[in-house]
Amino acid sequence: MTERLLDVQGLVTEFKRGSSQIRAVSDVSFHINRREVVGLVGESGCGKSVTSLSLMRLLKDTPGRISGGKVLFEDRDLVTLPEKDMRNIRGNEIAMIFQEPMTSLNPVLKIGKQLEEPLMVHLGLSRSQAKERAADLLRQVGIPRAEEVLHDYPHQLSGGMRQRVMIAMAIACKPKLLIADEPTTALDVTIQAQILELLRKLRADNDMSVLLITHDLGVVAEMCDRVIVMYAGRVVEEGSVQELFENPRHPYTKGLIRSVPKLRQKVHRLESIPGNVPDLSQMPQGCKFAPRCAYATERCLKEEPGLLGVEGTSRKSRCWLANEQTWEERGAVTDGQAG
Amino acid sequence: MDKLVEVKGVKKSFLIQKGLGPKRYLQAVNDISFTIRKGETFSLVGESGCGKSTTGRLVNRLLTPDSGEIWFEGKDITKLSDRAMRPLRKHMQMVFQDPYASLNPRMKVKDLVAEPLIIHTKLSAKERDMLASKLLEEVGLGSQHAERYVHEFSGGQRQRIGIARALSVKPKLIIADEPVSALDVSIQSQVINLLQDLQAEHGLAYLFISHDLSVVEHISDRIGVMYLGSLVETADKDKLYDRPLHPYSQALLSAVPVPDPTVKRERIILSGDLPSPVNPPTGCRFHTRCPSCMEICKQIVPEFREAEPGHYVACHLYDDGVQAGGKA
Amino acid sequence: MKDEAVTGGTQAVVQAGAPTGFKQRFGAFMRKFVKQKTAVVAAVFILILLVIAIIGPLITPYNPSKPNYDALMEGVSAEHLMGTDEYGRDILSRIIYGSRLSLSVSISAVMIAAVLGTALGLLAGYYGGWLDRIIMRGSDVLFSFPDLLLAIGIVAILGPGLINVVIAVAVFGTPSFARIIRSVTLSAKENLFVEAARSMGATNKRIIWRHIFPETVPAIIVNISMRIGGAILAASSLSFLGMGASPSKPDWGAMLSMGRDYLAIAPHIVYFPGLVIFLTVLAFNIFGDGLRDALDPKMKS
Repeated sequence: MTERLLDVQGLVTEFKRGSSQIRAVSDVSFHINRREVVGLVGESGCGKSVTSLSLMRLLKDTPGRISGGKVLFEDRDLVTLPEKDMRNIRGNEIAMIFQEPMTSLNPVLKIGKQLEEPLMVHLGLSRSQAKERAADLLRQVGIPRAEEVLHDYPHQLSGGMRQRVMIAMAIACKPKLLIADEPTTALDVTIQAQILELLRKLRADNDMSVLLITHDLGVVAEMCDRVIVMYAGRVVEEGSVQELFENPRHPYTKGLIRSVPKLRQKVHRLESIPGNVPDLSQMPQGCKFAPRCAYATERCLKEEPGLLGVEGTSRKSRCWLANEQTWEERGAVTDGQAG
Repeated sequence: MDKLVEVKGVKKSFLIQKGLGPKRYLQAVNDISFTIRKGETFSLVGESGCGKSTTGRLVNRLLTPDSGEIWFEGKDITKLSDRAMRPLRKHMQMVFQDPYASLNPRMKVKDLVAEPLIIHTKLSAKERDMLASKLLEEVGLGSQHAERYVHEFSGGQRQRIGIARALSVKPKLIIADEPVSALDVSIQSQVINLLQDLQAEHGLAYLFISHDLSVVEHISDRIGVMYLGSLVETADKDKLYDRPLHPYSQALLSAVPVPDPTVKRERIILSGDLPSPVNPPTGCRFHTRCPSCMEICKQIVPEFREAEPGHYVACHLYDDGVQAGGKA
Repeated sequence: MKDEAVTGGTQAVVQAGAPTGFKQRFGAFMRKFVKQKTAVVAAVFILILLVIAIIGPLITPYNPSKPNYDALMEGVSAEHLMGTDEYGRDILSRIIYGSRLSLSVSISAVMIAAVLGTALGLLAGYYGGWLDRIIMRGSDVLFSFPDLLLAIGIVAILGPGLINVVIAVAVFGTPSFARIIRSVTLSAKENLFVEAARSMGATNKRIIWRHIFPETVPAIIVNISMRIGGAILAASSLSFLGMGASPSKPDWGAMLSMGRDYLAIAPHIVYFPGLVIFLTVLAFNIFGDGLRDALDPKMKS
């Protein structure tokens, strides 16, 4: 068995807007190893959610289409897999949890029924077997009074409980890969702590890999082994979590880390990245981050860098300066627009 | 008179079930008291349902308290009518969480920014336009944007427009209700810096409402922690973050994920979920989830009292003073 | 899995380009409207009708009031494209003149109803409480009468004549505006920018006028266009019953009424006014439908 569970190669996803095609995901490549937690980080519009939907082939009801690349899961290419086979994989070998549990749970079905469905469909359990297993799963995710909750409707549960139910549904068939798209963003911080703790425990117990999609760098630092940073539909940096935070090799990553207020930091003024994320339909020539970059050179403005390796490490960075020891501040080349 | 805002023992409930059967009330704010001094930033921090947004709207009297008092600049404004409140609103402006919904999409930017001027001053249109342009420059947007409509701007830019609007009548207090929560991380810092700059420039006081403890630490002078409608702890920023006294404050602070993988912290993970504000627990509202819960906590509501100078807490652990209290 | 959860992440991409400025919205509206062919045909018809009504006197071939005893009840011919009536008057000319009457009566009646109804709806929706109850109960009372009966009742009280027809049609049109605008007001009231205006110290008058009224304008426009058809019908019916214009005036409904007696021998006297009423009301109804569909944000453009 290969170490690589998921290997994304050159993924391209386009959206139809009006009469033109917009690339929400542009030549994205990364991999996830077994038993690894990989963080996919970026701000709104960077393409991280679209990437996860593309991986799961869930773009059918949207104006988006995968238009290129491969997504190798073990040895199968998910992009070209027939829908019938894809359905066997979803909820079974690859599971997904979303930000808003209220919209992913069917409001008119009881929790028990929703939990039993993947068990019966994918694992072929009988109804009574599925019922037992469902209660067991709820206990695993830390829901007290599991038997009672099976008879509840989603609206009767709190946000944290609903998220636990969704996690229970996701791990029901012991998936190899769990994709968690902003799983705690809508939750209060104390509940978030509970859920993250739960995810850690489940990952260890079930030997799963996790693709954790988030904009919260604190969550990334806490949960992930490796991190992938996205900007404007592209991967701009990749590396282990320690390396990334200690010595970011892309100006966007650096700016992002520095602009987040940290507890007990005691700085007078926060750093910030000037300007705005570019409109996907009006991308600048050259490096997409260059207009906001304090270190941008002439070359950066003209030529878009590829994902370059950083010498001496397994890291990658989409920056012409990735291997430079020091970065010279040349002054941001923005149009003076504040963000 | 150093005190700008004084909130004394304010309570507010909402009727959520009328008609047949017993009436049910949602106790949003339960006997809270705090002060905001001129030019200082007082933050209210807490999780969903804690009543911080409701408190913000009580301070500027968009809501009327059921009991208790609200004082602004030495005047009791608790029971003032809408008409009497209007001239006072010049001095307390509000910035909202949602930069998309809080600006009327049919109005031009300059009209949005100048609206408080139309309401409170007798300036001519030309004078208002000039002021609007100046304000836009001050918040970091060029004055050339004055003639445009909001849909052309990003979230962070719209929030700046909202801030310019609040500034237009030179208020003494700005109530900022989660002003950066809806913005991207890299934009949040831009707006926070702006708020700080404006405060230094104009001597503004802020009532800063947020759930984000890292942002709050950065911008505040004093902080109040709320839980299920009650203030559980109030202190100067450093005192609170160095030594939180209330078990909830401690749990809250330990729950915040820190963007530094080398930091390994002892997490206090609270058990259970937030109780319903319609049916709050007896005694101390936090007792159902408190790791230090004692018998007395289940029965008697702890008093909000000064445990050490400037540091208030509502917890039975400190009934006999700070030394007798729980973890440091 | 529910659709919303799936598409959530993609919305940022699609919505980022959705403009909401006035020019773009008007453009989007026009595109949607033009897709409905029948509505466009109706719009053209209405436009022609309006032009005819305005320049009427310049194009009528004959004097609509002057009798011509040499050409009584003549059928369609080259000199009289629609024939003549029982007094020898050219029907085409009378219809052209009649368009002025019909359109001015119905448009003014509906406009009055719109102004009154909008004012009542805004007040009822914004202030609520007893004001709301009074206005809504009053509307309910008016609603409970069949339109025409109510109009007849009012004209019976006020006496015949076109001005009273206008009043009657305006009165029975007001409740529908009040109800619709009240409902739009109730939801517009919840907008965050309304709360923002309140927190700034805006007076109720300012909030209603500047922040709520603009939200009601699309509903007003749609309702106006949908009610003009009914107003024309009502005004014509009242005239038909002898309660509107005096029979000598070239009002379409009155023409129908007078032609009744000659239906067996000169049916064209009835057909042409009848046809014109039918087409006009149909055109306004179809146009109103098209307008409403084009303004509906949920329909794909």
